[in-house]
Amino acid sequence: MEAESKDKIVSIEKPELIAPPDWKPVIMGILCNWCSYAGSDLTGTSRTQYPPNIRIIRVPCSSRVDPWFIIKALQTTADGVLISGCHPGDCHYISGNYYARRRFLVTKELLKMVGFHEHRVQFSWVSAAEGAKFAQVVKKVTDDVVKLGPLHLYKKENFNR
Amino acid sequence: MDYSNQIRDIAAKLFAEGKIDVFVGYRMSGFDDNQVPVVITDPKETSVLVFTEKSVFNLTNYLKADHTRNKKVGVVVKGCDSRSLNLLLTESQVKRDKLYIVGVACEGVVDDKGNKMQNCMECFIPDAVVFDEMLGKPQGKKDYIVNADITELATKGLIERGKYFEEIFENCIRCNACRHSCPLCYCAKCCIDQETSTLYNGTNTSSSAFHALMTWSLHLAGRCVDCRNCEKACPSHLPLHLLHKQNEKVIYENFQNHLAGVEEGDRGAFYKYSLKDPDDFIM
Repeated sequence: MEAESKDKIVSIEKPELIAPPDWKPVIMGILCNWCSYAGSDLTGTSRTQYPPNIRIIRVPCSSRVDPWFIIKALQTTADGVLISGCHPGDCHYISGNYYARRRFLVTKELLKMVGFHEHRVQFSWVSAAEGAKFAQVVKKVTDDVVKLGPLHLYKKENFNR
Repeated sequence: MDYSNQIRDIAAKLFAEGKIDVFVGYRMSGFDDNQVPVVITDPKETSVLVFTEKSVFNLTNYLKADHTRNKKVGVVVKGCDSRSLNLLLTESQVKRDKLYIVGVACEGVVDDKGNKMQNCMECFIPDAVVFDEMLGKPQGKKDYIVNADITELATKGLIERGKYFEEIFENCIRCNACRHSCPLCYCAKCCIDQETSTLYNGTNTSSSAFHALMTWSLHLAGRCVDCRNCEKACPSHLPLHLLHKQNEKVIYENFQNHLAGVEEGDRGAFYKYSLKDPDDFIM
């Protein structure tokens, strides 16, 4: 009875599906090795708290991120995706994040068109010194995805009968 | 628009001069008034060649096949086909010195019902951009028009769009005809075909099609020339152009009016960058 009086956890893309009350979001984080991964390391070593829902994958550079990774994550387990790299101009490989930036924009717009909320996939620039910013970014992404509810659109598990 | 006689003459002349071993063109299908691609190796067969507004297919797809590889080839290209050929040349899939390109100043092709194709109504480069010989009167470049379907989709809500695309993806039977008919898909091994991919888990669901078609269209983003070979090949008649035109629109509006395959030596929007690219969506 008490569960009904609370706000139901509803997926924004598919309002007819209601999540169990103990639902917790799963967020895939893809971080570049040279800035954001070091930044997240700093967050840990400086004992800053951030939500534990993020699962971090380390890649050499943000331009290593194929749009396929994002699609695959959304199709399988993730409720949200965070991709983070070096600030423009700071790329370890000189220009990798400039190439990545173009791909991210097109991917984001296409995902928006096929029915995903724009907060499902988020991008950030976090440098190795910005441990506090990384904690803020993860908190913001987690809060956004909690508001959106679980992702059911095009999910593979919907078809595992 | 009927260049059948000119193309027959050109092909016969090229065979006689020994400039080509193979000619790729169109012939009548034999069942109805539609046309099919034909690869001619015998100079006597040049009389079957035709070119009218029913010549819909993009023939550059056949330049990567075994029967034309490492041979001297003559080919007929329209405006959109020549742009994909331009990209194939830049990406070293086809050798320019082994090609004889017959460019056509295209006035638009028609679908099965005789209506002008949507991409021809919105065509911005009707003339061939790379050619050895030009047929017809060049019309020059036109303005870029945002696809009408994309504009209409943008007015719909989030849930409505999700439902619309779920239905589209549900009807996909994962035959991969779109990929095989695409002139710019030539990877020997495609990432959407991995054993871990949903293709092999025995499902034809909106989920597996979402994975395949979205990955496919994003790997073609900035290179797709809107020839619509994929749509013509699709047995389920899916509006695959929606994915490509959306990417094309975003790229045109944000990346210095980039259009794929127009300039020689241009590898596509994702192979270059500008410091002024939009950055406001990144935290």
